Amino acid sequence: MSVFVIIYYTLLLGGSCLAAYFNKRSAFLLLFSLTLVSFVLGIIGGVPALKFVAVSAGLLAMAAMVSYGFREFLVAITSVNMAKELRTAPLTAGFGMFVIFTYAVAGIFAPVIAPFGEAEVIASAFAPADETMLLGADQLGRDMFSRIVYGARNTVALALAGTLLAFFLGALAGLLAATTGGYFDQFLGRMSDVIMSIPSLIFALLMLSIFGGDLANNTTSFWLLAGFAAVVGVLMVAAVSESSIIGWLIGLAVMAGVATVFAGFMLTIFNPSEVILVLVVAVIYSPRVFRLTRAVAGNVVVMDYIEAAKLRGERKWYLIRREILPNSTAPLVAEFGLEFCFVFLLIAGLSFLGLGIQPPTADWGSMVRENATLISFGELTPLIPAAAIALLTVAVNFVVDWMLYRSSGLKV
Amino acid sequence: MGDILGLVAKRLGLGLIILLIISVIIFFMVELLPGDIATAVLGQGATPENLAALRKEMGLDQPAIVRYFQWLSGAVVFDFGNSIVTGASVTETIGERFANTLFLATYAAAIAVPVSIVLGVIVALLRNSIFDRVANVATLTSISSPEFFLGYILILYLAVKTGMFPAIASLREGMDFGDLLHRTFLPALTLVLVVTAHMMRMTRASIINLLSSPYIEMARLKGTPPWKVIVKHALPNAWAPIINVVALNLAYLITGVVLVEVVFVYPGIGQALVDAVSKRDFPVVQAACLIFAATFILLNLAADVGAILTNPRLRHPK
Repeated sequence: MSVFVIIYYTLLLGGSCLAAYFNKRSAFLLLFSLTLVSFVLGIIGGVPALKFVAVSAGLLAMAAMVSYGFREFLVAITSVNMAKELRTAPLTAGFGMFVIFTYAVAGIFAPVIAPFGEAEVIASAFAPADETMLLGADQLGRDMFSRIVYGARNTVALALAGTLLAFFLGALAGLLAATTGGYFDQFLGRMSDVIMSIPSLIFALLMLSIFGGDLANNTTSFWLLAGFAAVVGVLMVAAVSESSIIGWLIGLAVMAGVATVFAGFMLTIFNPSEVILVLVVAVIYSPRVFRLTRAVAGNVVVMDYIEAAKLRGERKWYLIRREILPNSTAPLVAEFGLEFCFVFLLIAGLSFLGLGIQPPTADWGSMVRENATLISFGELTPLIPAAAIALLTVAVNFVVDWMLYRSSGLKV
Repeated sequence: MGDILGLVAKRLGLGLIILLIISVIIFFMVELLPGDIATAVLGQGATPENLAALRKEMGLDQPAIVRYFQWLSGAVVFDFGNSIVTGASVTETIGERFANTLFLATYAAAIAVPVSIVLGVIVALLRNSIFDRVANVATLTSISSPEFFLGYILILYLAVKTGMFPAIASLREGMDFGDLLHRTFLPALTLVLVVTAHMMRMTRASIINLLSSPYIEMARLKGTPPWKVIVKHALPNAWAPIINVVALNLAYLITGVVLVEVVFVYPGIGQALVDAVSKRDFPVVQAACLIFAATFILLNLAADVGAILTNPRLRHPK
């Protein structure tokens, strides 16, 4: 029995007794079951196992404090209405918001935060950590910490772009299908059924096997981007101009211009293989967005105020913009968060397989793959980028959980 | 019984049609390549004679429609042609690997299904307690982690630091069953962690949904003991959602297996697919995609049929 073990059990038992005395039932249950678990763990794993439990409990407590602090901070700086909502947020949501905020800062200010460039070779391969390199060097001698910071920018930006495109296409098609109905609705519905019946990772691999390699050049990706923008544009024009021929002509002309600008803009941000990745992801995930938007908008379309607006002679675009969208924001925002998680995990998985973001761009998925050999020497470093992926997904999920709870009234 | 058979047959037919459409997509996406497979294989510097010879050999001189039907009629009897890279028969390369993958998935499912249903029901009964919240956070974390993260954590702690299990799940001829289970334990455990979390959450949601229905409250109000409420009143109606949950998650298992196989260097079809994609070996990619899609559809179909069989209301659609 070392001093540590004695203090450990004293704290746990004392805590549970206090909780029991003050009638805090859930705290007591938690503390006491932790004590019982510690008995078993202590017998099997000895002092190290107990130390592990103590460290994780400490980390959890710290995370809880940070989340509490961040939530209170948000409550203090936002407007009255927002603050009222935020006060109801559970600690997990506060933690999620804090993590998202940290990642955003790391991504936006990556060049300022990172001590070295993302492809800068500064040491020998797998050099251990020292004062200048916080986490050591990777397989080519690049600073691990800088690459993780840059990864926050590259990986997240790509996932965000993919989600946004999937959302534009899916939500627009869903809204249009809900307001139009008939064959158009049926056609889009069946098409999304087919795409969704192929597992997403498998579909992505199939598309990447075709558009990878030589095809990942500027011309192809420009035309693919322009084509994607054209599909979204035609849906948009169809919603805005309905059956007026002049409207269609003007709309199509504007759309062609916007599509070109969009494609050029995307190509200045991402390189061709990344553009293809974004488009593949957008095509795979837009049917899911379509389904949800179609369902949510379908419930709104049958309302009396929509009927009234139609009788007033309002057009489809007005209905979508002023009546349906404001009434379906909450589930759509939550869905955006969920989709982001899926897209992010898919891109990370593809990069891990060596088929996503290509070197030398710093990216978390491929960093895990490149440094995986270190694991067999018992090193933790290759797990850090993987943990970064997991942490962001968990954070977004926490926030989405809270929003879903709030919007759907799932109060069972 | 007649109407049930009819419904099941209808679902099967629908599944077949979707599979057919998917085979069209898988086949004709490769046709989108500028030039054709022959130019993709030989590269830019190929002479016209070489190209013509290769096209003749692969039957590329025929129109795409004809080749599609040849490919499809081959696929029905599991003959997917030859690999571009190695020249070996695709069926031979993939067949054994598919069996390995099925073994891994079954192994994971055999652990995950009972564990997650029991845990899901327990958590549903303890809803809104501290255990429920802890379970919620834990499952959410497990779902949100990429499979390779969980896999490498398990390798680090269970293989490298303690040496209880091998880090690489290589298979040899003539291993006995216990050895096989031991060697494939870590990849199976990774899959179990991910799938259990999904299944637990979905089981919990469907049970809670059920427990809030009026007839359960009625049973409680008339003084039925709690265990009897669960066993006699809730469970018969819970089978439909639970079967659904299980089938959907097994479908998820099929795709999750790709990453796990790569992490543990397990000789399964997922790894073959990833290799083929990076080498652009199209016949293998097409075959593997078709097999994955077919399994996925089959499991979704099983979910539908299971739901129909256990829920009489679905037998009489409005």
